Amino acid sequence: MKNATGNKMRLGIFVTVSIGLFMAGIYFIGQRQQLFGSTFHISGVFKDINGLQIGNNVLFSGINVGIINNIEQTTDTTVRVEMLINEDSRKFMKKNVKAIIGSDGLMGNKLVTIIPGADGKPQLADNDIIETTKAVSMDEILQKIKITSDNAANITGDLAVIMQNIREGKGTIGKLFSDTVFAKTVDEALVNIKQGAGGFKQNMNAASHNFLLRGFFKKKKKESEKEKEKEKGTNNK
Amino acid sequence: MPIDLNIKEKVIAKPAEVSENPYAKSVKTFFVEVTQLTKFTLLFFKEVFKPPFEFNELIKQCYLIGYRSFPLVAITGFIMGLVLTIQSRPTLAEFGAESWLPAMVAVSIIREIGPVITALIFAGKVGSGIGAELASMKVTEQIDAMEVSGINPFKYIVITRILAATLMLPLLVIAADAISLYGAYIGVNLKGDVSFHLFFLKVFEKLSFADILPATIKTIFFGFVVGLIGCYKGYNSNKGTEGVGAAANSAVVIASLSVFIIDMIAVQITSLFIK
Repeated sequence: MKNATGNKMRLGIFVTVSIGLFMAGIYFIGQRQQLFGSTFHISGVFKDINGLQIGNNVLFSGINVGIINNIEQTTDTTVRVEMLINEDSRKFMKKNVKAIIGSDGLMGNKLVTIIPGADGKPQLADNDIIETTKAVSMDEILQKIKITSDNAANITGDLAVIMQNIREGKGTIGKLFSDTVFAKTVDEALVNIKQGAGGFKQNMNAASHNFLLRGFFKKKKKESEKEKEKEKGTNNK
Repeated sequence: MPIDLNIKEKVIAKPAEVSENPYAKSVKTFFVEVTQLTKFTLLFFKEVFKPPFEFNELIKQCYLIGYRSFPLVAITGFIMGLVLTIQSRPTLAEFGAESWLPAMVAVSIIREIGPVITALIFAGKVGSGIGAELASMKVTEQIDAMEVSGINPFKYIVITRILAATLMLPLLVIAADAISLYGAYIGVNLKGDVSFHLFFLKVFEKLSFADILPATIKTIFFGFVVGLIGCYKGYNSNKGTEGVGAAANSAVVIASLSVFIIDMIAVQITSLFIK
């Protein structure tokens, strides 16, 4: 008899714990789906929802604040997405928030991100329709990458032609690389220019001491000194 | 009124079929078994709602079938969660998706592995136990003695066991799922560092009612079929002491196969309603 009571008690504990675990599981899933807390509805109209589904998360400042409650196609180009938002987040959500469809990581589920608006606006009310922003889809990104890679291919093609010409000694730069006589001539020309510049400097020095041009050079010197003094005065002030 | 469940004996014992093709005989036996099992099931549903109700025997069977199976189911569940996590890690690590490990393991365990493995363990332990117990009761004429003493053996032996199996397996599966998830938590932390709170959040982040409810409902059918087949095989055993082993063996085989068939049907039905 005592043993039978003990068995019944053990069975009772087992049944209670198992049912408790089940109820806890149901509660935590329900809580995540905003079934038990206080909530409010908002909606946004999108042109393309990129595979968003009922039950996907809604993030506000990176925090999970709700779920997608309903998706309804209103016209041939617009889809209305209804969101169920946790009441606790309402005080931070102003009328000028924006919704954008994103994804949870590279391979993750789609989600709606609500971008906070500027201060000074009233809080969102129940059933408000919020502004939406077009999300950049993967297709668009791929299309832009394709254009960029096409341009890169054209540029590298041109560069390849230029390099080929240089290698074959075509054009001035090509000759410089491949024609030793041309390179020597350029080198000599540079030496001549250097020598010519040195001679020109000597001539100018001689001209500045000549009585015919001395006045002109003195005048120039005085003007430059005056300008320097002016600059000094401005800096001291 | 005595219940006639001996169609098989009558059909097989026909003298004109001595030189019958063995394949034809197997097919015929199969269909006879199906008919007899259907009759047994209908009799269960007919008797289950009729008083008197054997509550004390039901509680006793719940203790023997449910509580006594818990240690085995708990150990299996723990190993299941741990091993699944360890085996899944390298594949997910290749994609840099190790953070998905708790969610992936949780969905696998709750949806499929937990219910099916636990049901198979349950079929092995309880199905064979019921089959052998009832077959030995038949051999030792205890069932006949019950009838003589005015107790309905079908109500007392069969209904209580089937009901106990039907009620206990879902609870065992819930317990096994919870212990499996704990095993998975340990598995995740063998080569990583995830807090219990984060693991818990990750698990429930991806779980939905569509995962937990169909998985729990199908375990009711698993439990029913394990109890039903165990009782049917034991109650219809008719080869003396040799029949005890045969009843236990065939109860496990047919119950295990039935678990897989029911699982396949349940998955198909679930996928019709939940995408």
